[in-house]
Amino acid sequence: MALLGQYAMNGAMLGMMYALVAVGFTLFFGVLDVIQFSHGDVVAAGAFAGLLAYAALSFFGVHAPGVLLLAVILAAALATIVVGVLVARFLVLPIKGAPQLNVLLVTLMMGTVVRECIRLFFPNGSQPQRFPALLPSSGWNLGAFYLRFDNVILLTCGGLLIAATHLLITRTRLGLAIRAVAQDEETARTMGIDFKRVVLVTFALGSVLAAFAGVMDGLYYNEVFFGMGLLLGVIGFAAAILGGLGNLYGAIVGGFLFAALQTVGAVALPFASAYKDVFAFGVVIVLMAVRPTGLIGERVSERV
Amino acid sequence: MKAAAVAAVATAFAWLLLRAESQTSISLLLLLAVAAGVAAARLRFRLSGPSVLAFAAVAVLALLLREDDFSLLLLTRILIVVVACLGLNVQFGYAGVVNFAGASFFGVGGYTAAILAPRLPHLLVLLLGGAAAALVGSILILPVLRTRGHYAALVTIAFALLFRTFLEVNDTLGGPQGLKLPELVIGPFHFNDPVFDASFYLRYVALGLVLAALALGVVQRLERSWIGVALDAVRLDEIAAASFGLSIARWKIAAFTIGNFITGVAGALSAFMIGFIAPNNYAFSESLILVSILLLGGIGNPWGLALASAIVIVLPEKLQTIQEYRFLIFAAVVILILLFRPAGLLPRPLRRLKT
Amino acid sequence: MRFAAVALIALLSFAARAKETVRIAFIGPLTGGNSAIGLGGRNSADLAVRLRNADAKAKYTYDLVVLDDECKPDAGVQMATKAGSDRTIVGGVTNYCSVVAMAAVDTYHRFGLPVIVWGAVLPDITYKNDFKEVHRVNGTMINQNQTNAKFMSEHGYKNVAIIHDTTDYGKGHDKYFTQFFTQSGGKIAGDFGVTADQQDFTAELTQLKGLKPDALYFGGLTPIGVRIRAQMDKLGLGVQFDGTSGIVNDDFIKALGPNAEGALAFREGAPAEKLAHGKEFLEQYNKQGYTQPPEAYGPFAYAAAVLLMDAIEKAGPDRKKIIAQLSPAHVKDVESIVGKITFDDHGQNTVPVITKYVVQDGKWVMWEDSEYASGKRKLAK
Repeated sequence: MALLGQYAMNGAMLGMMYALVAVGFTLFFGVLDVIQFSHGDVVAAGAFAGLLAYAALSFFGVHAPGVLLLAVILAAALATIVVGVLVARFLVLPIKGAPQLNVLLVTLMMGTVVRECIRLFFPNGSQPQRFPALLPSSGWNLGAFYLRFDNVILLTCGGLLIAATHLLITRTRLGLAIRAVAQDEETARTMGIDFKRVVLVTFALGSVLAAFAGVMDGLYYNEVFFGMGLLLGVIGFAAAILGGLGNLYGAIVGGFLFAALQTVGAVALPFASAYKDVFAFGVVIVLMAVRPTGLIGERVSERV
Repeated sequence: MKAAAVAAVATAFAWLLLRAESQTSISLLLLLAVAAGVAAARLRFRLSGPSVLAFAAVAVLALLLREDDFSLLLLTRILIVVVACLGLNVQFGYAGVVNFAGASFFGVGGYTAAILAPRLPHLLVLLLGGAAAALVGSILILPVLRTRGHYAALVTIAFALLFRTFLEVNDTLGGPQGLKLPELVIGPFHFNDPVFDASFYLRYVALGLVLAALALGVVQRLERSWIGVALDAVRLDEIAAASFGLSIARWKIAAFTIGNFITGVAGALSAFMIGFIAPNNYAFSESLILVSILLLGGIGNPWGLALASAIVIVLPEKLQTIQEYRFLIFAAVVILILLFRPAGLLPRPLRRLKT
Repeated sequence: MRFAAVALIALLSFAARAKETVRIAFIGPLTGGNSAIGLGGRNSADLAVRLRNADAKAKYTYDLVVLDDECKPDAGVQMATKAGSDRTIVGGVTNYCSVVAMAAVDTYHRFGLPVIVWGAVLPDITYKNDFKEVHRVNGTMINQNQTNAKFMSEHGYKNVAIIHDTTDYGKGHDKYFTQFFTQSGGKIAGDFGVTADQQDFTAELTQLKGLKPDALYFGGLTPIGVRIRAQMDKLGLGVQFDGTSGIVNDDFIKALGPNAEGALAFREGAPAEKLAHGKEFLEQYNKQGYTQPPEAYGPFAYAAAVLLMDAIEKAGPDRKKIIAQLSPAHVKDVESIVGKITFDDHGQNTVPVITKYVVQDGKWVMWEDSEYASGKRKLAK
């Protein structure tokens, strides 16, 4: 039972990170109908920017965990916003009209650029970097279940962030504009919505979520790695698609579902846990065959 | 005549580039090539001629390089990648079925070859490599058929990741240590024996040329036939195609299967030539390189992808000074090309229907 | 006529002063996940060449041709062909990734290119074939695990759980440790294979925690070693961490901070800092201003390059003669920065020494010198 609790907690942490990334994918798809495949590496860029901020502040003798944490999050958010908006402005928007495949490949390659830049230009970037533990590391030991405060805090914050995004989209004028653009670009433009601005703001918003995912990843594992964004990106994409592109709830469901699949895969295949990703991706393929437009389907109407 | 002259110039250029050692001469040659390309684009230079010329040019090049093992190895690799991409071309270019698991099907061919080579005649093994790839592909047919766009992309991406991980954790297929292949023997030809005084790679070049010619023949025949017209219709507008009575599912299945077969045969030949296969060769990133070649060349145009394959394989080899920066530069170049030439280097010309 | 004579004299005197240039190849992973070690190896081989070129007594000037095998067999064979078919290259310091080395040895053999492997640890590389061209300065994983297993059982660990990556490196370690540890009466509580790019190990570690082992053996490299050790802490799993040569580097400690304390690891060869030459190596390395550290296998790449150049000095720049010069008859108790090198019939260095390490106060300390051995500190139970 306690063991089950531990698994649930591990899965929940993973699911929250995937969901944060997946929400980004789904937001971008909503306004531009594109997949921003470098999103995973934007997460990594955020984590490394946070690390730089930490190193700089420690160098100047700042050691209060609260201040450091705030600086890490701000630096991460700033970096991801810069990268995310630049990608949107100079890579995605100019080729909006090109085939989907081009956008996919351009952003994938952009991901490679970001990843290689971290590896080559971050000091000793090809090796994993230690990410400081800035949250209280104590916890309750409930038999086999070790419930840590930092995990609880991270989970809560992640949940709040997603809830805030949801409120932003559904309750504010900005959200209205985003939804309008998502529904029909042409009409939105004729209604006087500044299309480009809305797109850039949406990319900034998604990137902030990525920044938090990056910092969360760092704080949870206490280690970040230049290649961390690759798998995180693919999984985030898979989660967004699983849920149904353009749907916020879908992305969240998809994220937690994928984490659950991985965890179940590891538990159900004792001593063969290396197969857990094979299992998880296998289930994804089967689910796509059963529900070709995602679990919470994107509504598609055929225009004849 | 014009085509023959171009083929001769291209052969001479390729020979110079492959033999060039110093960074200055390589840079000069590359600048020259870029300038020629830009000029050709400006002057709207159109080239048409029999494909035999291109194959003759490659054969001449191989003979010129007969003692240079490394250049011949590169040449064979280009031919193999061209064949693999021709397979993908049927899927992406004609039927509009996306496949981000090209390297996986390439790998199925390679692994099939490694397992069957000790037991069966090798010519058959090459074909079975393709058949196995087509067979494995059939697992994906249902989800690929039912999904579109990004959803279909996810299916193949998931498969690519799954395939590599599966190879790595699975012991019966050699696991991460991979498998060794015996020497390729077809009829009286032992492929690892030297050809007189020249390199043994000459035989691989020859076989690569034969395969490329066959694949090109199949692909062009397909394009020019009513099947090609049907595939184009399916790609461009499924609903319109369906309302003209075309069975979308049938054509998509056909294109997916034919494409995987061709890619699988290429994978089998590649495994024979390297003599050793391991999961690392069939990672998702390799699939991406195949797709980049397709897009860089100009989707749907076999000559474009031949050009792109040559660039993608030769360039990193010739730019040794950039070493660890290679991937960074490769990615940046792909982005730039797609930004400024979204249809690729040699876009597919419009179909000219004879009346 | 007179002009020609003058020119001839000038040419001759120039030839007398200028040394013949000899090219040797370095092959290793310079891109991808293993690039840190590859770049460290490249820098170390480069250092050996620079020092030799600065040495007035050397007969030749050396030129290091650096090739990237990307840790992929096909790229490895391609690079081996490139080095092998280029007749101006007379020898090579090659391969860190075992899978690449396995794929490439046939090619080295085909082209008759003498190579010295500097990092790949799979026993088969030297032992599966009888190729006279292939040598190796680093030890195999067999010796390392024998010492490791013996150490663990002597220190009272009876029930050890294993996590290994599913690469050849991890699987090999898993196999040999299991073999030696069970032979000495220990029990393997559980055995988990994980992929080399995995991020999250909480599921495996949770399962492992339920098995109640008294130590965790890890067969793999630094990146996931760091993750596993850090996540053990997150799950309150406080058992002894027992690693392999793949984690003996500063990055392991840097990435873990205080969590690294008490981690064990074993590596073939004497530690560079303990040998006179070794200290010099580290000093020179720092002097050259390389941007990457030499990593665990840098000293081996350096030693391999030195050994190869020594053979060239003696035998001349001829592949066949170099192979003869690297035969067991000539390579016996050769002093190097990784201890004495002795080749057996398969060109394998028989490395008698395995060094035991433990992390103490943020440093890899030789076990014998540590406060853990003296009883001042205790390993985890």
